[in-house]
Amino acid sequence: MAGSADLHEPGFALHVEDLTVRYGSSIALWDIDLDVPPGRLVAIVGPNGSGKSTLLKSVMGLLRPVAGHIRIFGEPISRARSRVAYVHQRAEVDWDFPATVLEVVTMGLYRRIGWLRPVRKAHRQAALEALAEVGMEAFATRQIGQLSGGQQQRVFIARALIQQADLVLLDEPLAGVDAVSEDIILSLLRSLRDRGKSVVVVHHDLSTVRRRFDWMVLLNRRLIAQGEMRDVYTPANLKAAYGGQMAVFDAADADDPARSGRVGGQV
Amino acid sequence: MPMLVDLLGSQIVRTVMLGAALVGAVSGMVGVFAVLRRQSLLSDTISHAALPGVCLGFLLAGERDLTTIMLVALLTAMAAALSVLAIGRLTPLKTDAQLGIVLSVYFAVGVVLLSHIQAQGGGARAGITTFLFGQAAALSAQDLWVLGGVFAVATLFFVVLWKEIKLATFDPIAAAALGLPVRALELGLTVLLALTIVAGIQLVGVVLMVAVLIAPAVAARQWIGNLGAMTILAMGIGGLVGAGGALLSATGRGLATGPIVVLLASAVVLVSILAAPRRGVVWQALSAQLQRWRISGDRVLLAMDRLAAAHHDPDYPSEKGMLDTMLGRPLPGVMRRLEGQGLVRPVVHDPESSPHWVLTPAGRRRAEALRRTGHGPD
Ligand SMILES: Nc1ncnc2c1ncn2[C@@H]1O[C@H](COP(=O)(O)OP(=O)(O)OP(=O)(O)O)[C@@H](O)[C@H]1O
Ligand SMILES: [Mg+2]
Repeated sequence: MAGSADLHEPGFALHVEDLTVRYGSSIALWDIDLDVPPGRLVAIVGPNGSGKSTLLKSVMGLLRPVAGHIRIFGEPISRARSRVAYVHQRAEVDWDFPATVLEVVTMGLYRRIGWLRPVRKAHRQAALEALAEVGMEAFATRQIGQLSGGQQQRVFIARALIQQADLVLLDEPLAGVDAVSEDIILSLLRSLRDRGKSVVVVHHDLSTVRRRFDWMVLLNRRLIAQGEMRDVYTPANLKAAYGGQMAVFDAADADDPARSGRVGGQV
Repeated sequence: MPMLVDLLGSQIVRTVMLGAALVGAVSGMVGVFAVLRRQSLLSDTISHAALPGVCLGFLLAGERDLTTIMLVALLTAMAAALSVLAIGRLTPLKTDAQLGIVLSVYFAVGVVLLSHIQAQGGGARAGITTFLFGQAAALSAQDLWVLGGVFAVATLFFVVLWKEIKLATFDPIAAAALGLPVRALELGLTVLLALTIVAGIQLVGVVLMVAVLIAPAVAARQWIGNLGAMTILAMGIGGLVGAGGALLSATGRGLATGPIVVLLASAVVLVSILAAPRRGVVWQALSAQLQRWRISGDRVLLAMDRLAAAHHDPDYPSEKGMLDTMLGRPLPGVMRRLEGQGLVRPVVHDPESSPHWVLTPAGRRRAEALRRTGHGPD
């Protein structure tokens, strides 16, 4: 076991230093330094292709960075897997796979159950409880292919909840989700935060980000800004992140720059 | 019939059928994962790439020794799988082009070697061509041990790693995020795929082996939405089809086993695609028709309800032509269906001779419900 002497920056839920990630010859992330304090509801915001998904995948150890290091509560991912859960984008699986909702949620426990051990009743019970938290318990025996997009997302979130992680990473959980699912997901994320967990969400909608999150990371291949929402959500920062995609600012409405012009929209 | 009974009584035929059943069952098991991982074309490539290995093994052993042949065929089959991987890494070619190239190159080498062996002449050497389309009759009692061994290895692999394989197949990203060794599991599955193919080619042949892998899984998926049950059903289908094909090919002299097994398997797939509940073509067509009838019926009820309201007469007889005009001709059979459900009643409206209907009390209730809940048109 690692002694506390091995820990590096244990005060942060997530600590990223000098991170550079490359796909072939194109650089997706350049020299990122990032610290996320525990107990926050964090939005990662940036235009398409700015490296938001790449950042989460690097944190989970799914990509090999060319430089830098990442720590979760002071530990590298290899030793912190039980403390972090990850909800990837919904499109990345085959929804025609023969499995029920309950089975998919139980998959979150496969590592904890361990090799050679079968799924037991207690595990299914835990899965039912996680489903209840996302309001999906009535769908437990449903085939996963027979769900709406928002319901699929809630099932994925239940699969993360069941891991009881201290840090939860979600990649665009609100994309293509209706108002009902959105409310359920958001209040769930808030209650996780209120229980002291750290929640990091890739979020696309600039017009809602300020009301929903309390910490913000602005990204565009490089780190543009990070910190408390009110400090980071400024016209200057948004402009720096969205650059040419930003329409003219209305100074009178600088209080909420997303409302003015067409921040993040196509030009 | 007596011929069949004679055949079943023969030791050789029983050996062949057992061997074919083992091959079919293990193909069904492994094929489920090949299908779910979208590896049909990769399976076909691996199986064609076994041919050069078969020939090399034959040359090495100097005779038709299944163990040697299988080992060398496994090597070339795996080499083909790795070639696909390498081409994918090093070139911008799309998957189908990668597979097409590897399949044709390995198969071409195989055919060249095959011609070379045949040119050497000799009785045993002629037998090598049976690896193209399969010849179950060539199976010996010792071969059963090899096939049984492959079956045991595959079964053990899936039983031991069941939940890990399931997750890595459904959601490899989540599996990797949980810390499962996804690469190693994929490698294991690929080796098992190659092993299964190599075990099957003596009976089915390299050309058609892919069908025996894919067909049972495709058929089973139609009926079942549970991975475990689907795998067992695919094993059953594969086993039956294999044994049946072997028996049929044994009755006709020189009939290649592969095509017969494949035809049987295709028949099962066809029936499954047509008839399976929910996913079957027939079921889907029926439920779509029912849906159309229901919507059309609802529109008729609403139209009749509106006519009745307009005439301040709940028993207002609606005329067919009027309904046709309002709805742009409802589906044929809709009125009869509504009558059958007791929602409308045909009436005679003198002096006109065209058909008329009135809403029954049940029909009025349904029309009112439709109006209130906003379901149906308008
Ligand atoms: N597998 C890959 N191979 C090559 N390039 C990739 C790959 N994945 C991402 N990229 C590139 O890396 C950059 C960052 O991609 P990433 O998916 O992290 O962006 P993102 O911020 O999540 O975008 P979006 O908002 O569209 O989801 C993009 O320019 C993208 O084209
Ligand atoms: Mg993304």
